[in-house]
Amino acid sequence: MIFYQCAKCKKVWQQSVEICPQCFCKLERVKTEKAKVVGISKVGIASLPHPEVPYFALVLEDELGNKWAHKSVKEYAIGEEISFNSNSNSVAIWKTKYDAIDLIEKIFSLLNISLSENSKMVIMPTLVSPNHAYFRENTSPDFLEAVLNFLFEKKVKLDNIKVMAQSFDEAPIEGMAQKSGLLDVCLKSKIMPMDLAKLSFVKKGNLEISEDILNADIVLNLSMMKIGKASASENIYKILKKENFASLKYLQSEEEIVNELKNSLTNIINLGEAEFVQKQNKTIVYPGLILGSKSFLNLDRVFNEIAMVEKLPEILKGVEIQNIETTGRDIKEVKFINN
Amino acid sequence: MKQNMYIKGVGMTKFDYSQKYWWQFAYEAAIDALKDAKLGISEIDAIIFTGMSSAAGGEHQTHKVSFLSGLFKTNVPVIEVPSVCGGGGVALWTALHLEGFKNILVLAGEKLVDNKSEIVVDYILSAAERVIEQPEGMLFPVQNALIWQQYMKKYQGSMDDLSLIAFKNHENAVLNPHAYFYKRPLELEKIKSSPVVASPLRLMDCSLSINGGAAAVVSTEATDIEVIGSGFATDYILTFERDDITHFKATKMAAKMAYEEAKIQPKDINIAEVHDAFTSVELISYEDLGFAEEGKGGELIRSGKLNRNGEMPVNVSGGLKAKGHPISATGLAQVFEIVNQLRGKCGERQVVNPKIGLTHNIGGAGGSVTVHIFKKI
Repeated sequence: MIFYQCAKCKKVWQQSVEICPQCFCKLERVKTEKAKVVGISKVGIASLPHPEVPYFALVLEDELGNKWAHKSVKEYAIGEEISFNSNSNSVAIWKTKYDAIDLIEKIFSLLNISLSENSKMVIMPTLVSPNHAYFRENTSPDFLEAVLNFLFEKKVKLDNIKVMAQSFDEAPIEGMAQKSGLLDVCLKSKIMPMDLAKLSFVKKGNLEISEDILNADIVLNLSMMKIGKASASENIYKILKKENFASLKYLQSEEEIVNELKNSLTNIINLGEAEFVQKQNKTIVYPGLILGSKSFLNLDRVFNEIAMVEKLPEILKGVEIQNIETTGRDIKEVKFINN
Repeated sequence: MKQNMYIKGVGMTKFDYSQKYWWQFAYEAAIDALKDAKLGISEIDAIIFTGMSSAAGGEHQTHKVSFLSGLFKTNVPVIEVPSVCGGGGVALWTALHLEGFKNILVLAGEKLVDNKSEIVVDYILSAAERVIEQPEGMLFPVQNALIWQQYMKKYQGSMDDLSLIAFKNHENAVLNPHAYFYKRPLELEKIKSSPVVASPLRLMDCSLSINGGAAAVVSTEATDIEVIGSGFATDYILTFERDDITHFKATKMAAKMAYEEAKIQPKDINIAEVHDAFTSVELISYEDLGFAEEGKGGELIRSGKLNRNGEMPVNVSGGLKAKGHPISATGLAQVFEIVNQLRGKCGERQVVNPKIGLTHNIGGAGGSVTVHIFKKI
């Protein structure tokens, strides 16, 4: 858990306030490790925000005496310690508590991903329309900033970080980057974002894939999750040459394209931003989540399961939810009704 | 309070599931209070309104102050003071501390229970923390269940004591024509065997969400009821961030302020309306209000002293538990009960000759608390 503490008066916050209102000190981020169960209530009556019962509402306490609420589908005993197993092949799910860097760190830890200062990184934000961030069409500026800050915290060299995107329609990528606020975030971090369409592509089977993507140690696919869509998979298409994708769509099924993409890439880490997400009617709902996985298909399938989507996108229909392992939080703990 | 303050009139609607417009609950209660005060609206110098919702659908009204101006045909200042379940108490506290006005109408109306359940749930949930606690399953019954569980662990509390509280309040409501459970008695065994909502709390430990309105006219002009103490304190919205999760610090602080201002002790209280959103909250509040030592609330309910014919009856109206809990109207409905008890106007449920009464109103799970003390002159 992350807490914020005033070094002078020692007061503690769970919300990410930056300044102590009494001492005006900048609060310190305090990370605690232990989570001991000190209270349990078994909830037996379903509610709109928690439609599946029974579940267990726990009060957890860390080594510093901080207490917080935690939902679990697993039964614990008072005094038991909770641990969150990491598993590199699963879909990691975590709940937001205001601090995006903490979330990204948690997802990397759950997926057992380590970074070095020489890691060559490509970040691919979702950039699909020239809209302000509150529409939740594109990756949020705050989320991109948190990812960059996380990489800087991990000492990844600025020269080794590239931010790339590509437009598959008439709207120019520059306009989207500016209106979405992502351009400002990049410039603030001294990174010049690149239009992938203007760079080189390499032929691999039927696919023409960006050379920068193939050469990167890690590609971070920042997908802005949308209910009823395969958002992470759709953003992955953007590593293909626009004309190549158009012709592939004409010649092959989407499932075939996805499978070929899946087999051609081994360096992709998908981060599904789902703090605020678009519903199918374009209004916004607050699931307060982040998801991470090496598999974009699994990530999309898990997200749609969490959002209780009845009609899955075509490419996810063959992805069996019972075959996907999750880590961090259980799907049942974070399910929400999307209408 | 910088000057002596009095209650001139009180009014309330029946608490029920009737589907009037939201403002009708407030208006009906206001007319009752004005008649009781023997004042026309032109003699009211300011209005303080509290409300959480104004119906779920197309009726929803945000500019209530202007709406009320049109309704009452007045141009006096109208101030809206929302504080969820504690709104009635906070509105009264505001009126008592607002200087420069002779007569203030304090008013609440809630049409909370409507046909659009997801919107109603959203309104109710907005009274607690939405990002850190609620997604983790911390709905109001769950929060209070966990608080009570910690209390039980620390003081060996008993679920039977909570059943006694529910039974007492239901027995009282049977005699209150404004209560939802008026003439609807409930057996103790049914309370004890009701389904578990969030362990250890059962359905019959929870209060009743309902529609209703309540009002009071506060005045600087002397009447037969003086407000001799008024306390208001707040606490953190994150339940488990508080120092002591077995008690409500804000209740202790608000009670201390009210007792000090009234220059009395808890033992001087003859009758009280205590915020029983959950039976566990009523029991813990006995201790926070100074009626019992910490850990001794169970003994107090078992003693029978809090029954209608006891030494210090609590929740003779039926409380939130059995009269009903129309969120912001609750605090003012408590004032309605205490004022009428002090005046000897409560018919079948009238207690014997009370002189000093107390109201205790909580917003959220202990997040905003007011305590008021009233004296019959």
